[in-house]
Amino acid sequence: MPENTAYMVTAYIVTAAILVGYAVLLYRRTLKP
Amino acid sequence: MKLLKTGRWITFVGLALLAAVYVRAIAFTPVERMQGVAQKIFYLHVPAAIWTETGMILVGVASIFYLFLKDPRLDRFAEATAEVGMMFGTIVLTTGPIWGKPIWGTWWTWDARLTLTLLLFLMYVGYLLLRGAVTEPGLRARYAAVLGISGMCLVPFVHLSVYMFRTLHPQPIVLKPSAPSLPGAMLATLAFSFLVFTVLYVGFVTQRYALSLLREQAEPHA
Amino acid sequence: MRDVWRHAWLLVRKDLLVEFRSRTAILSAVVFTILVLLVFNFGRDPTAVAAVDLAPSILWVTFTFAAMLALNRAFQLELENQALDGLLLAPVSRSSIYLGKLIANLVFVATVEAVGLPLFALFFNVSVVPVLGPLLVVIALATIGFVAVGTLFSAMTGRTRFAELLLPVLLLPFMLPPLIWAVLATAALLAGRPLSETAGWLRLLAAFDLVFVTLAFFLFPATVNE
Repeated sequence: MPENTAYMVTAYIVTAAILVGYAVLLYRRTLKP
Repeated sequence: MKLLKTGRWITFVGLALLAAVYVRAIAFTPVERMQGVAQKIFYLHVPAAIWTETGMILVGVASIFYLFLKDPRLDRFAEATAEVGMMFGTIVLTTGPIWGKPIWGTWWTWDARLTLTLLLFLMYVGYLLLRGAVTEPGLRARYAAVLGISGMCLVPFVHLSVYMFRTLHPQPIVLKPSAPSLPGAMLATLAFSFLVFTVLYVGFVTQRYALSLLREQAEPHA
Repeated sequence: MRDVWRHAWLLVRKDLLVEFRSRTAILSAVVFTILVLLVFNFGRDPTAVAAVDLAPSILWVTFTFAAMLALNRAFQLELENQALDGLLLAPVSRSSIYLGKLIANLVFVATVEAVGLPLFALFFNVSVVPVLGPLLVVIALATIGFVAVGTLFSAMTGRTRFAELLLPVLLLPFMLPPLIWAVLATAALLAGRPLSETAGWLRLLAAFDLVFVTLAFFLFPATVNE
């Protein structure tokens, strides 16, 4: 089996970053009146 | 504002469930023999891709109804879905190459999903840019609707031409990231992930919709 | 329905009259086309790359630029002096305005292409004549596709800031599929492949044109109605 765990980890981190990042972005945009 | 709070809660639940998806995908789903651990990117990539495309169709449908009914709620929904769709598109366009590199040996390939997603992403960008460039709300909604409907109509053509391209140039690949028949455990993980992405879609769109509403209420216009 | 065509034709004549009296736009488009072809010609190492490999892409980049030039000025005439309001007050249906604009733009782009194609064949030493019929069909269908969508969108971008920047951005995802099909069809034709291979791309182009001209025809009023 090929050794490519690093790619999987990167993709999972990037996805989480985008989703959480967008959630935070929305939260902060709605805080300002 | 109630809608906003609801949206935030749904998103929070979605993100918590996402953590569960991660655990299940990484620790409790079997590793695919030919591709190895990298195949697990599939569980995030595919649901994101489904929502990127579904988002475009929803923008189109909402736009059609808007042109007939002129209901601003439809326009707000279209705007929200477009932004969220673009965000999901970003996930597909980043996880795609990261997955492609170890499996296909190349960062980019004109495979069906990536090509379609790239075009969808460009459509979303154009849609949001157009909205940004028009200040008068009624005009903005109408223009956006025209663009949204056009975008939705383009999608079948992209599918068709990718299919045709494939039949003319058969791909000499052994490893196909989207396996047609998944064993039970993998299918379950995919289904769970898709469910969570759906929850996230609903949460994000609700919040974004509420944001539009708040902005309209904050600045009374003639 | 006959009124729609009659009014559209009147608008086409108006646009073409204005255009060919001043002649600046068509001249700059032609000069630009020649420039692009020359640059591509000198940028290529003839010993390393055969002309016929690059030819389809070069042809279509040139034609795409020409189409963009036409579309950028599509509604410019009307925006100066608020002539668009005058048009809208006239007893012509909105859709005839679209048809008229579409045909006028097509004539403009076709003129540039009519100059560009022979020059292309000349500079790149590509034998176009044996496949001229099918090639003209490909060019016609792809051009109709770009210009149909472009005319609709230019009605919206005209009044926005950064109009010249916004139009290509909006148009990009809509131009890519017909452009790719056209390049593939052109490549097949110029390489002397049997016509059956081109048929699929031609069908897609024709379907695209049918769908988008119809769609634009019905959506255009939404871009100009108050």
